[in-house]
Amino acid sequence: MTRAAPILCLLATSSLFAADKLSFNRDVRPILSENCFACHGFDSKKREAELRLDTAEGAYKSKDDLIPIKPGDLAKSAVWQRIITTDEDDLMPPTKSHKKLTQAQKDTLKLWIEQGASYQKHWAFEAPVAKTGMSIDAALAERQTKDRLSFADEADKETLIRRVAFTMTGLPPTLAEVDAFLKGQTYEAMVDSYMKSPRFGEEMAKHWLDVARYADTHGLHLDNERSMWAYRDWVVKAFNANLPFDQFTTWQIAGDLLPNATPDQITATGFSRCNVTTSEGGAIDEEYRHLYAVDRASTLTSAFMALTGGCAQCHDHKFDPLTTKEFYSLYAFFYSGADPAMDKNIASTEPYLKLPTSVQQKTLEAAVQAESKALQSLEAATAKVSYTDPATLKPAPDAQMLTEVIFDDSFPVGSEIKNTSRNPSAWESNPAYGTQSGHRVLKHAGGQFVEDVITMSLTPLTLPEAPRISIWARTDPLSTPRVLSIVMSGRRVFWGEEDALDGASFGAMTKVVHAGPLPKPGVWTLLSFDPISLDLKVGSRVASLSVQQVGGRVAWDLCTMTGEVKASADLLASFSLWWKAVSSGKKTPPEVPAPILKTLMTDPAQAKAPQSKHEDAKTAEASAAKAKEEREALLRFYLARVAHPANDDIAKKRLAWEEAQVNREAADYAIPGTMIFRDLETPRDTFIAMRGQYTKLGDQVEPGVPAVFPALKKADPAARATRLDLAKWLVAPENPMTARVTVNRFWQQVFGIGLVKTSHDFGSQGEPSSHPELLDHLAVSFQKSGWNVKALIKQLVMTQAFKQASPVESNLLSLDPENRLLARGPRTRLDAEQIRDNALFVSGLINLDMGGRGVRSYQPPNIWEPVGYGDSNTRYYLQDHGPALYRRSLYSFLKRTAPPPFMSNFDAPNREQSCIRRERSNTPMQALQLMNDVQHFEAARALAERVIFEGGKEDTTKLNWLFRSVLSRKPDANESMMLSAALAKQRLLYKTNLKAAENAIRTGESTPKNIAPATETASWTLIANLVLNLDETVTRN
Amino acid sequence: MNPIFESNLLQTRRQFFGRSGLRLGGLGLTYLMGKDTLAAPDARVHPPIPGLPHFASKAKAVIYLHMNGGPSQLDTWDYKPGLQQWYDKDLPPSVQGGQRLTGMTSKQARFPVAPSLFKFAQHGKCGRWVSELLPHTAKHVDDIALIKTVHTNAINHDPACTFVMTGREVPGFASIGSWLSYGLGSESNDLPAFVVLTPKWSAKAQAQALFTRMWNSGFLPGKFSGVALRAVGDPVLYMQNPDGVSPANRRAMLDTLSQMNAHSFEKFGDPEIQTRISQYEMAFRMQTSVPELVDLKQESQATLDMYGPDVMKPGSFAASAILARRLIERGTRVVQVLHRGWDQHGNLPADIRLQCGDTDQPIGALLTDLKQRGLLDSTLIIWGGEFGRTVYSQGGLSQTNYGRDHHPRNFCMWMAGGGIKGGTTYGESDDFSYNIATDPAHLNDINATIMNQCGIDHERLTYKFAGLDARLTGVESQHPIKEIIG
Repeated sequence: MTRAAPILCLLATSSLFAADKLSFNRDVRPILSENCFACHGFDSKKREAELRLDTAEGAYKSKDDLIPIKPGDLAKSAVWQRIITTDEDDLMPPTKSHKKLTQAQKDTLKLWIEQGASYQKHWAFEAPVAKTGMSIDAALAERQTKDRLSFADEADKETLIRRVAFTMTGLPPTLAEVDAFLKGQTYEAMVDSYMKSPRFGEEMAKHWLDVARYADTHGLHLDNERSMWAYRDWVVKAFNANLPFDQFTTWQIAGDLLPNATPDQITATGFSRCNVTTSEGGAIDEEYRHLYAVDRASTLTSAFMALTGGCAQCHDHKFDPLTTKEFYSLYAFFYSGADPAMDKNIASTEPYLKLPTSVQQKTLEAAVQAESKALQSLEAATAKVSYTDPATLKPAPDAQMLTEVIFDDSFPVGSEIKNTSRNPSAWESNPAYGTQSGHRVLKHAGGQFVEDVITMSLTPLTLPEAPRISIWARTDPLSTPRVLSIVMSGRRVFWGEEDALDGASFGAMTKVVHAGPLPKPGVWTLLSFDPISLDLKVGSRVASLSVQQVGGRVAWDLCTMTGEVKASADLLASFSLWWKAVSSGKKTPPEVPAPILKTLMTDPAQAKAPQSKHEDAKTAEASAAKAKEEREALLRFYLARVAHPANDDIAKKRLAWEEAQVNREAADYAIPGTMIFRDLETPRDTFIAMRGQYTKLGDQVEPGVPAVFPALKKADPAARATRLDLAKWLVAPENPMTARVTVNRFWQQVFGIGLVKTSHDFGSQGEPSSHPELLDHLAVSFQKSGWNVKALIKQLVMTQAFKQASPVESNLLSLDPENRLLARGPRTRLDAEQIRDNALFVSGLINLDMGGRGVRSYQPPNIWEPVGYGDSNTRYYLQDHGPALYRRSLYSFLKRTAPPPFMSNFDAPNREQSCIRRERSNTPMQALQLMNDVQHFEAARALAERVIFEGGKEDTTKLNWLFRSVLSRKPDANESMMLSAALAKQRLLYKTNLKAAENAIRTGESTPKNIAPATETASWTLIANLVLNLDETVTRN
Repeated sequence: MNPIFESNLLQTRRQFFGRSGLRLGGLGLTYLMGKDTLAAPDARVHPPIPGLPHFASKAKAVIYLHMNGGPSQLDTWDYKPGLQQWYDKDLPPSVQGGQRLTGMTSKQARFPVAPSLFKFAQHGKCGRWVSELLPHTAKHVDDIALIKTVHTNAINHDPACTFVMTGREVPGFASIGSWLSYGLGSESNDLPAFVVLTPKWSAKAQAQALFTRMWNSGFLPGKFSGVALRAVGDPVLYMQNPDGVSPANRRAMLDTLSQMNAHSFEKFGDPEIQTRISQYEMAFRMQTSVPELVDLKQESQATLDMYGPDVMKPGSFAASAILARRLIERGTRVVQVLHRGWDQHGNLPADIRLQCGDTDQPIGALLTDLKQRGLLDSTLIIWGGEFGRTVYSQGGLSQTNYGRDHHPRNFCMWMAGGGIKGGTTYGESDDFSYNIATDPAHLNDINATIMNQCGIDHERLTYKFAGLDARLTGVESQHPIKEIIG
């Protein structure tokens, strides 16, 4: 336990030993901040005895003949006397505060007062000053000499290239890359090659997305899926394109306000949409508008200013000069967001930006034009057709067999569709397994219940004689459902497991009929049933139909109703019957042009009724003519779009129009989108929420920045400050925070720990910088470089400090356990993503496709299910298959209320809030996962097969190849011996158990290549599993 | 939390692992297969942080039974016979008092009073009134302290669930189980300190969600997060070897792994390597200890019968209840059972019957079982939801059916064991169970009480977060409820 002491001395009070003059910020402020400021600091409301010790004025000012601190005079300094008193009642800090000064802290305070008790403004609020001619290595070396330390030797080349590759790409080097470096490629050339890799942007993005709290679900209550992955992909792209960090900042805070903002600039504003949102029934809008703005303002302060602004939400900051009013002035920049308080549980909560590629845009425009042309042509063809309503014919025409399409490539005109996901129905064009009709199929995919409810307001069905309803279905062999069903008029017909629907609350059914087993997976099958078996009567109206599935994935196609129909009773043949039926419906059908909608919804009997007696003949004639005109317009609408086509020409043109409609829909649907930030036209009045309570409003505030910082420059001094003003202020040369905070975060990324360890908190409660001048120097040079991120990263990895070997002697370890002084190379456990990606990479399984919707890789059963809301569209985890399983972890679907275990187990944050620094734990759960998780064990198998195939003939060359593939170096003699013995042992165990060997190599969905006997592959799999579990493997050494 | 403590703590843990790591190299790995190798009784893998407990603790372990969705206090513990006369009459505005309502009922034309449909009777020496829904729990009223005036800040599920477990309405803070395992460590070397069970439920209405943040460590180190003990798949994630990998294969692999990691340690000198060696050994021990833990066949038939017919069904509340006992017997510090399905906006009588059917007998059995084994005195049991429900009916009210909306103003929780004074009642609600009449108990007071029973001064267990000394019970002054402490 005593071993911990040296480091604290080292950083806080080492100057005591060096007998230097104390620095207030480095040596004294942390002590006062921890022990005194809560009652004698910045927060005026909590200040005791009107004494403040955070400023010289407060500390020197005498009151009641007592001077709190008299520079150079311990005896007259009341504060000091209260610290050393033995009187319990007078003692400071008071006993009840549970704070206590250590002897070392007391010594420091004593010396500080003796030396003159000089104050400094908190270091982080002063503009950084660059020392000329400073280099990183020289600055580190200078500090090391104080403790008689020096840099360690350079690490060997294999260690270096692996360290660089992980730092810059999140992946290990390939053997070819290692060989090239060993054969003489310079270190700089090696660094440059990784800088050019698209993996660079992915690795940098991984860190930034923690800051931005990016995830794939809304986060609260239902925690439904949201679509923001375009933002994630933009971050990757921005780092790869080396977008200067000042622009990177500006775009995210206010890209939408830039002149002629590009889609990328607007996408970047998603930064302020990444906060968690709700749509919980009964939730109160004002409360959530407030919470969202608090989150956005707090994220801003921690990401760019490293200040814990959230505290000032409720009270003046106790330790830092941030008043509640100032916090709410930052909050005011976000309080007028145009996004709704309730996210509606949909993926595309507005403001939402569609992001077509130029091809997609052109396709869409063409499709829109084609659709309108097709409609014109259809309308022209029906304009002149003569029409006799069959209902008026005597005798009534005979019944004939007719097949009506309920849906094929689209739903019937004027239908309203409700999908359980709350998002638009999922159509897939030209699936690999083909369609039954047209070129689209309707897809259902969900862990449990999924349905599309089709309400045919414009084309209600009438059950014919001898009716039959049919639908084609194809279930996915990898993910078969438990039940398929159709519901109409409160009756259900289903195929599949009889008890799958038990206990579920899908509404009461009048009748339920089991129509048979599920169709054979992977084969298009026609499911059909007789509606009469559901106790439905011939001639009854069916206004809606739902297509349902429980579990798995299904494609549906061509749903029809067949039967003997009399035209006189057919809504799609008799205009008068149809009009009456639709106008008496409760719902106004969509897709009806406005001019005829009113007519349509008026009872035809009323539309024809004679006008009031009081009107004169002329008026009556005029209104009769108008009624006739309206009726004619409706009839033409009916003939063109609704009724059975009157002739072949119309049939052809109707089909052409429907296809054009589908093409337009498909073109539109194919365009992804992303949630973006935008302001309301008229900003909301913004008030301080007293004690953080939205119901208790205080003074009104205007957007602004804290007074301790340089003033905000408004583009229009007369106007309200904008987010663009705020963004420009953040990256203005005189702003002391952003550059420092940013270089520190990159330092943390590269060296494993920041120069300021508390990278999220540069305030007085955070730790001071271990190398203040170096941090300043880096901040200034970063600004001068044009905020060049790639140059900064290169500068860091090119240092002698980074290139050192990482082994540590016990005395250095006890002196500097966290390696703050960098007298050895950085050695840190890999991040969650890197650990999984490494296994996928060395095994050759990895799929390096970039971007797109989050993928659902392997996940143990029952991660989402026990927590998800019954009706959430992320309650049931439906795993992807095939190459999607092996995508980089950055693209894994992240559900906030139940994140993937491979992420959370290794300390990846759940992204419910901004995270500036991950911790690195070391737990048995991690060991279990690395040994047994299907993705790791499958990777071990795939790696074993590579070893057998590519690793040469002899066991020793194979072992060397395996070891080098994973660790970039050859095993030493001891390691070779241990591995050979281990291999022999596994062979012995599997020799007698072929069955076990065969099972072992079948873990995962990729199939073994069978290039060796199962026992051999299994033995090597265990050895690969062993190597992938080595401490050195999961560590950047 | 003082950074020096944290640093010391890490150091302590590292030293411990360091010792065992060195022994590993010296004696060979086979010795580590049994847990006895961690020989010395004080050699705990998860020791408490220095200075804890702050004072002698009554409770060594905590079982928190969380009824998620907000159980109705009016139909379980808060007996209001006078309400029968108020059937279908409007709740007087003076009682409603203009308090905020959820968006689900704020636009209701009327607020008709719905008296409980269930009969209440007096039980135990203390003569407490208990609903007929809870016949088994009712037998234990003399061991139970009932708090009738619990109140919370949030009115909707997500923030209220977050609040009841972390003391905050917004995500990011540490859960109570994480605080306790962080502060007190664990008695067990081969089971997690904090275990979470999420059993199935029977109510028919859509169940509210749970959130992993309810057992997450928030700003505390990740190892203090609750570990889910699962009913489907591996009981503990990734516990089982892949198909075709026998314990012998695994042991052989681990032997070499430890040797090679020890070899790495010689090269790098990084204490994290020693920690990792120990964690792999603990993982291996868990592969034995967890299956043993979940094997209910070791229980006597009499014990199993006591928990009711569902006890052998994996994932039932009954199975969770008996597992909770088995966990704390084996040294786990905190067990949290989160039972969903208590959000009864409509059709309350039928659904609450089903929910009580899931839970009542197992809870009664758990109390009996712990008592018989002499564990009740050292085990604190907590029962409650994230808020209560309104006296007025949401939606239609009839003689046989009603629903109730969320009610954060007053609701009931109970505690038993762990130094709690049985048979006591704290606080009274008004005649409508709509407001607190006497002795309010904020959820922060409840949490302060839980910590107190565990030997923790809730004001002194803090951790640096966002520039503050964060603690479970928030910044306002909170107190353990002395009246219910024995």
